[in-house]
Amino acid sequence: MSVATGYFVAGSSWLHRRHPLTKLLALALVLLAEFLLPPVVLPVLAVAIVTAAWTAGLLGSVARAMRIPAFLLLSILVVNSLFYPGAKDVLLPVGPLSITREGLTFGLISAGRVLVAFLASVAFLFTTLADDLLEALIDRGASHRIAFVVLSAVQMVPRMQARAGAILEAQQARGLSLEGSFARRLRALVPLVGPVILGSLIDVRERTFALEARGFGARPGRTAYRIVADPPLDRWLRLAIVAACLGVVAAAVSGALR
Amino acid sequence: MPPGVPPGVPPGVPPLPPPLHIDGLAVRYPGRREPSLAGIDLAVGAGERVGVAGRTGAGKSTLALAAAGFIPRVVRATIDGHVTIDRTDAPGAAAGALLGRVGIVFATPANQLSASKLTVREELAFGLENLGVPRAEMDDRIDATLARLDIGHLADREPFALSGGEQQRVAIASIVAMGTSVLVLDEPTAQLDPAGTVGVADLLDELARAGASVLCAEHDPSVLGRMDRCLVLDAGRSVALDVPGAALEHAHAVAGTAVPTLVRLAQAASLDPVRAFDEDAIVAGLRACGGRFERAAAEPAAVDPPGWVPVRARGPVRIAIEGLVHRYPTGIEAVRGVSLSIEPGEAVAILGQNGSGKTTLVKHLNGLLRPAAGRVLLDGEGIAGRTIAALAGTVGFVFQNPDEQLFERTVEREVAFGPRNLGIASADIGALVASSLAAVGLIDERSTNPYDLDLSRRKLVALAGILAMNPAVLLLDEPTTGQDADGVARVGSVVEAMRAAGRTVVSITHDMEFAARHFTRIVVLRAGVVVADGPPSHVFAAANRELLASTGLTPPPAARIAARLGLDLTPLDAASLLAALRD
Repeated sequence: MSVATGYFVAGSSWLHRRHPLTKLLALALVLLAEFLLPPVVLPVLAVAIVTAAWTAGLLGSVARAMRIPAFLLLSILVVNSLFYPGAKDVLLPVGPLSITREGLTFGLISAGRVLVAFLASVAFLFTTLADDLLEALIDRGASHRIAFVVLSAVQMVPRMQARAGAILEAQQARGLSLEGSFARRLRALVPLVGPVILGSLIDVRERTFALEARGFGARPGRTAYRIVADPPLDRWLRLAIVAACLGVVAAAVSGALR
Repeated sequence: MPPGVPPGVPPGVPPLPPPLHIDGLAVRYPGRREPSLAGIDLAVGAGERVGVAGRTGAGKSTLALAAAGFIPRVVRATIDGHVTIDRTDAPGAAAGALLGRVGIVFATPANQLSASKLTVREELAFGLENLGVPRAEMDDRIDATLARLDIGHLADREPFALSGGEQQRVAIASIVAMGTSVLVLDEPTAQLDPAGTVGVADLLDELARAGASVLCAEHDPSVLGRMDRCLVLDAGRSVALDVPGAALEHAHAVAGTAVPTLVRLAQAASLDPVRAFDEDAIVAGLRACGGRFERAAAEPAAVDPPGWVPVRARGPVRIAIEGLVHRYPTGIEAVRGVSLSIEPGEAVAILGQNGSGKTTLVKHLNGLLRPAAGRVLLDGEGIAGRTIAALAGTVGFVFQNPDEQLFERTVEREVAFGPRNLGIASADIGALVASSLAAVGLIDERSTNPYDLDLSRRKLVALAGILAMNPAVLLLDEPTTGQDADGVARVGSVVEAMRAAGRTVVSITHDMEFAARHFTRIVVLRAGVVVADGPPSHVFAAANRELLASTGLTPPPAARIAARLGLDLTPLDAASLLAALRD
């Protein structure tokens, strides 16, 4: 994974070919729907996203990416099932604890929300080039500062990963041990996180200088070299997605009023 | 030719104003009492290359930032005097006003690129987009720039996959593509291998021939020597402005900076300073002298670094590398069967082009990487079962980039981090920290925050941090990049002191003179295998010239000149070459 491509998985599937803003709006729709609509939409959304990823040839990449939230999802489920405050309906005693129906339900909904948000995000990142997103945003009149912040956010994790690897090596070579008690490991974080942040700040300064030297955002009337394809289908899709977003919000508001 | 007059202008034609004109420039950063620059006057004409030399902290970078119009718009500082670029007052100019007139390139290759482009062609287009060049014109301008700078073969490569030297040339090209007439560079070759450095220097020649004005802050004499003139700064003031040979000679007299080897040889041969970097003239001049030199060559500046004093005793450690092979997950075999035996007290310099496997090899010596085949033994014992942290007490590794390890509030705490991890008694830690800081000349900065020091001194803090761990084996990755001559001498004195104490030093370096001067053994890698191994006088001998060239290396200047004079021996510095000629 390079910094320039971010999480992009090379390909030319139907999902890759969608305009970055179409996908950005679709991501927004998923997030709105999963938090505003009743939890029954969660499995529907999850299946829809996985199907989309599958037809775009990304099933393997998505499955590999699941390593990242796996621990979080599991702990949300376990902690809520066992420790949900005020839960009474016991489903299964586990030693001194017990799994409760309320806890399990809440855990499943919370984990489901995190899962759907994660799946939608990776489907977006895997099929969208950072540079296309940048061009698309600037083309739609976003200020270059906002575009730069979005670009930096997309590239931040690959950059930090590369940095963190080097820092881990450098500190281990200074005798930093990553084994031992929890407290010891917690203390070991300081020399690892410190250089990630301080070094990134120095990097940002230099990169800002480089963009400045090339006149990024210095003049109005910027032109574009790379043409980001925006087929007619995408325009209709965006209209449909915006309508769906409004629908979701309307449904949520009317539901809340009822 | 007076500055400002482009080459080929007939007499009588009124001269054009120089594209870059600096008059009475003074710069002071907020929170500093002393100005970083004062009283600087400089004009860089069309087609002229001016080098900026001087110690670390002399104000070279500040001058570069001011000349590029970055002060005060991008970098906050108070500025007095005038900087005029293409008849535009730079400090007062709006953001877009200098665009396409002046550009600047800094030291770290990867940070000079926009970071989002997939091809070099798109990278060059980035500046044109910001200028608002119509898309239909872009490809022609990009092609013309790539062709002119002779990097057309890189057009469709991914910028991040290029070598540092290639990235710097792309960064320069992307500035030049914008039609920029004034190019400012701040240590553009500091992080490059010798071949990359030559590539950038060639490019600057090419640009000057095409009429650009070039201002280049540098430490490397091989780059400074190719400039038309050289400005030497000392503590923010100009102490010399002349042809490079004369300027660097004069700077030695007034500011005590080091004199490059070629300049010293030219002095000895009584050459005109204009020819101080002209190797043909030096060879002819030395021949003509017949061993009698009118002027004694000045000895290097008397910085006399204190070296390093071992605080705790340490048994010697022998390193054996047997049939080492390393394969990265991508399938690339970076090291392809290396066997080396390194005795205690040896100082080994590992040379080779970027990508020849130097860092990969050295990372096996403290367990950062594990071999696909072969093994590493310390005192006859394999290290396969030992963790990096466990090996850290024996083998110290100083990384190239200090910012990947510095995190403490003060230099002193930072240097104490390693020995504390090793569980060394706190009474001893104090002594170890003090002797390490003294060795790198930072004892007065013990309470300073490391990030308030510049990069070259942060590198010395990182070195002190490893010295304080009292290692039997010291591994260094490019310890001299970005260091001025004093800094290089300090690192050299540490290498020699370690060796004198029976410790082992293994250093990756691109600096041939550093390797020749301070190391007892040179190992040259090419494509993951050892192609030369021996004392410097053997490896840099005339007979190895072709072999070295095949790895993008050239012998240090004194050895080069000796070879051209047909001497049998291989002197490694000016003094020994002259001594050999006297006999």
